[in-house]
Formats: sequence, C-alpha cells, structure tokens
Amino acid sequence: MSRHKISLRVNGQRYELEVEANRTLLQTIREDLEMTGTKCACERGDCGLCTVMVDGVPTKSCLVLAVEADGKEITTIEGLMKGEELNPVQRAFIEHGAVQCGFCTPAFIVAATALLKRNPKPSEEEVKEAIGGILCRCTGYRQIIDAILDASKSGK
Amino acid sequence: MIPKFDYFRPKTTEELVDLLAKYGEDAKMFAGGTDLFVLMRDRLIRPKYVIDLKGIEELHEFSYDEKRGLRIGATVTLNELLESDVVKERFGVLWSAAGALADPTIRNRGTLVGNICNASPAADTAPALLVLDAEVEVAGKGGERTIPIRDFFIGVKRTSLKPEEFVKAVRIPNPPAGAKGGYYKWGRTRGEDLAVVGVAALVVNSGKRIVRVALSSVFKTPLRVPEVEKVFEEEGPLDEQIERAVSAVQEKIAPITDVRSSKEYRIHMAGVLTRRALKELFGGS
Ligand SMILES: Cc1cc2nc3c(=O)[nH]c(=O)nc-3n(C[C@H](O)[C@H](O)[C@H](O)COP(=O)(O)OP(=O)(O)OC[C@H]3O[C@@H](n4cnc5c(N)ncnc54)[C@H](O)[C@@H]3O)c2cc1C
Repeated sequence: MSRHKISLRVNGQRYELEVEANRTLLQTIREDLEMTGTKCACERGDCGLCTVMVDGVPTKSCLVLAVEADGKEITTIEGLMKGEELNPVQRAFIEHGAVQCGFCTPAFIVAATALLKRNPKPSEEEVKEAIGGILCRCTGYRQIIDAILDASKSGK
Repeated sequence: MIPKFDYFRPKTTEELVDLLAKYGEDAKMFAGGTDLFVLMRDRLIRPKYVIDLKGIEELHEFSYDEKRGLRIGATVTLNELLESDVVKERFGVLWSAAGALADPTIRNRGTLVGNICNASPAADTAPALLVLDAEVEVAGKGGERTIPIRDFFIGVKRTSLKPEEFVKAVRIPNPPAGAKGGYYKWGRTRGEDLAVVGVAALVVNSGKRIVRVALSSVFKTPLRVPEVEKVFEEEGPLDEQIERAVSAVQEKIAPITDVRSSKEYRIHMAGVLTRRALKELFGGS
C-alpha cells in the first residue's frame, strides 16, 4: 500500500505526518493526533458524528482520506474555544441543555459554528437543513435547534 | 477500516488516461468518495488502485453559455451546483434534485458526476438529467465520445462506460423556453435517505403542452417514460391527460420490494407523485 507525506493544519497548528493510503481523516484526527472529541460511529457517512471543518466547510471525516487533507485547514471541536472562553454555540448548548448523552454534541457544535460563520442569522428551517446530516439518538433535536438559534441571536 | 490500496492523484487528464489504461478494472476513480468509500468499507468492491480526480483542475470547470447551456465538470460538488443562480433559475428540475440528495454535509463533497457514475437506480440527479436530455462527455485511451444520458445507465450500478474511460463533464442544453420543473422525492425520512420513489418532471405550458417525466427507484435504472410525452402531444382536458400520464407511469415501471418499501407502495407513490408534480407545475402558470 502506498504511503504519503502530508502537511495539514489542525486547529491552527501545523502537523507533518506520513499516512497510509487507506487511513481516513477521522482515524488520523483521533488516533494519530489523539484528538478524541470528534466521534467515530457508523463510518459510512450516515450519522455525521465525525463532522469536522475542512477549510471551514463541514465534512464527514470518515469518508475522507487523510491524504486528501494534505494542505488543508481542519477545525475540530477542540479548536473552537478562544483561550478559556467557549464559543457562542458551545455556551448556548449548555444553557439550553442541548446535551443528553453527549456523543453527537461535538458534531452539532462544529456544524452549527460553520453555519453561523456563513449565515449569521439563519431561519429555523436553515438550521434544520444545516444539521440534517447529523443524528442524535437521544432525539433531543428541539434543544439543539433552540441553542443554535439562540447562539445566532447572541450576535457573534 | 477501508481495505488497502495504492492512492494516485493525477494532475492532468493525460496522466489519468495513462493510469486507467495501465490498471483498468483494478482501479477506481473518485471525486467526493461518498459512494466509493462506503462500498470499499463494506468490502463490496476492493480496487487495488484508487485515483483521486480532484487534482485535475480541468475537471472542476463549471460554466454556462447562452447557446450551449450548462457544462458541469466531474469534480463539481452538489453544493456548488446548488449555489448557482443559473441552475436555480433555468434548470430548476436539476436544482431541486440536487437539493434532495443526502444532506448538506454529504453535498459538500458528493458530485453530480459521482452520482450518475455510481448508477444506483435511486440516484436522485439522474431523473432530472433524463428529462433535460443531458449528455455525458467521456474520455479514455481511445479518445473522446459523448453518450446521451438515456444510453448511459444500463443496469443496477452499471453504466456504458468502459473500464479505461472516465467522465469529464455533463452537458445540459437549455430546456425549452418557458419550461418549469421539479423533483418530487418520497423517502422514509425527510432527509438523508435514498428515495422510495422520485419523480422528475419538466413542463411547458405555453401554447402546446410539453411534458417529460422520469423516475428513480422504480426500475433497474433511472427511467424516463416517453409514453407520458405522447399523452400530451394531442389536445385535451388537462385533468384527463394527467390521469393518463399517471397510468402510463404505473404501467411502465417495474419496482422491487426492498428494505425501504414494498413494490406495491412504490407503484402507488409513483402515481401520487406524478399527479402532484404535474398539477403543481401546470397550476402555477
Ligand atoms: C449518508 C449518505 C446518504 C446518501 N444519500 C443519497 C441520496 O439521498 N440520493 C442519492 O442519489 N445518493 C445518495 N448518496 C450517495 C452519494 O452521496 C451520491 O451518489 C454522490 O453524488 C456521489 O458523488 P461522489 O463524488 O461522492 O462519488 P464517488 O464516491 O467519488 O464516486 C461514485 C462512483 O462513481 C465513479 N466515478 C466517480 N467519478 C467518476 C468519473 N469522473 N468517471 C467515471 N467514474 C467516476 C467512482 O469510481 C465510484 O464508483 C448518499 C451517500 C451517503 C454516504
């Protein structure tokens, strides 16, 4: 199997790695870089729990090869705080109790953060559309939607 | 775990042609990988060589020309299509089909060309391309050729591409003046599932009526139903014509029963959606 040297930025820090062709971006984030906030569940693009930003764009990292991430800027849940400060979406999730078991939470927060960057004042429909590819099996979508809408009102 | 393979990222179509000529059936290409890596992970296919098309700039071309229409390169993502005003305004049936596919996160990577090359009977963009008379630009060692979309799908997950060929782009001529269109998808959930049935319809209601209908998930390939077009070639009361079109669709399709739906329900819903599509598209003008 071919091996590839890649250089990527994750949460602002540059990493130079050598990866095997079949390594997914998700495996690299969790196993090579040991950032386990991004979750691994279905590994077939259905559940969306592995969502990270690739150059700002929400992406299911289980269906992306690590070698495809060469030269890219990756943002994971670990990269959203500014110093000790939570971002508005993270704060709103706490305030709204939008976390039950918590396993899907990183993906929702990453996707919502990306949405608000692109569209700071989304409608409820637009919020639902943007998180349509992420599944919560505690079925607490109401609080998640409310939290994202609230974060959009908080202005940043 | 995705099984082992060697990865290539050619920068030019010439390099790609050489790789495909060398490795043939042992190689698989990908753009978004949203079909390929699922199949590989499930070990339904095990290519020895995997070729990433995103390094070839030419394949990312996406253009519109008043005369020639739309041209969508192989690595243009579905969300790039959805962001285009030209697609939204002039190729509404394609725009609505692209927006019905999977979910926005998958659409950030998935492509139109990947959708048709995967050739699932459920491919959401295929019925739209069928009613738009799209053409597929193909290249390979033997040169270039164009395949009309109606000849592209030949079976479940099978296309008329040869192993050493690849799709460069999909070309879509301008639809007839005054055409309106939409894709009506029925699924088990509102998002992120393949269609139980999908109906793409294109309607012109100025002077002579023109109607084209194609469906997903009701046949071994995506299917256009020319019998519907014949119904509207003669004059007659609209409601009667719509009912005849519904019957024509239900007679032509041959769905199967699977995890998503029974065959009977598919036949029923194909009728419901055809009627709904035609009523809405005629009603609004
Ligand atoms: C969670 C999930 C939900 C989905 N939901 C839907 C849905 O609702 N509707 C639907 O229709 N699809 C759905 N899909 C399937 C898939 O996302 C789409 O078919 C998508 O358009 C594929 O594009 P891609 O670029 O990712 O394809 P890839 O995986 O890159 O390629 C698909 C196939 O086409 C071949 N190929 C790609 N490009 C070329 C080329 N230029 N020339 C020749 N062969 C080529 C590849 O070898 C492969 O066999 C879903 C997938 C997932 C994971």
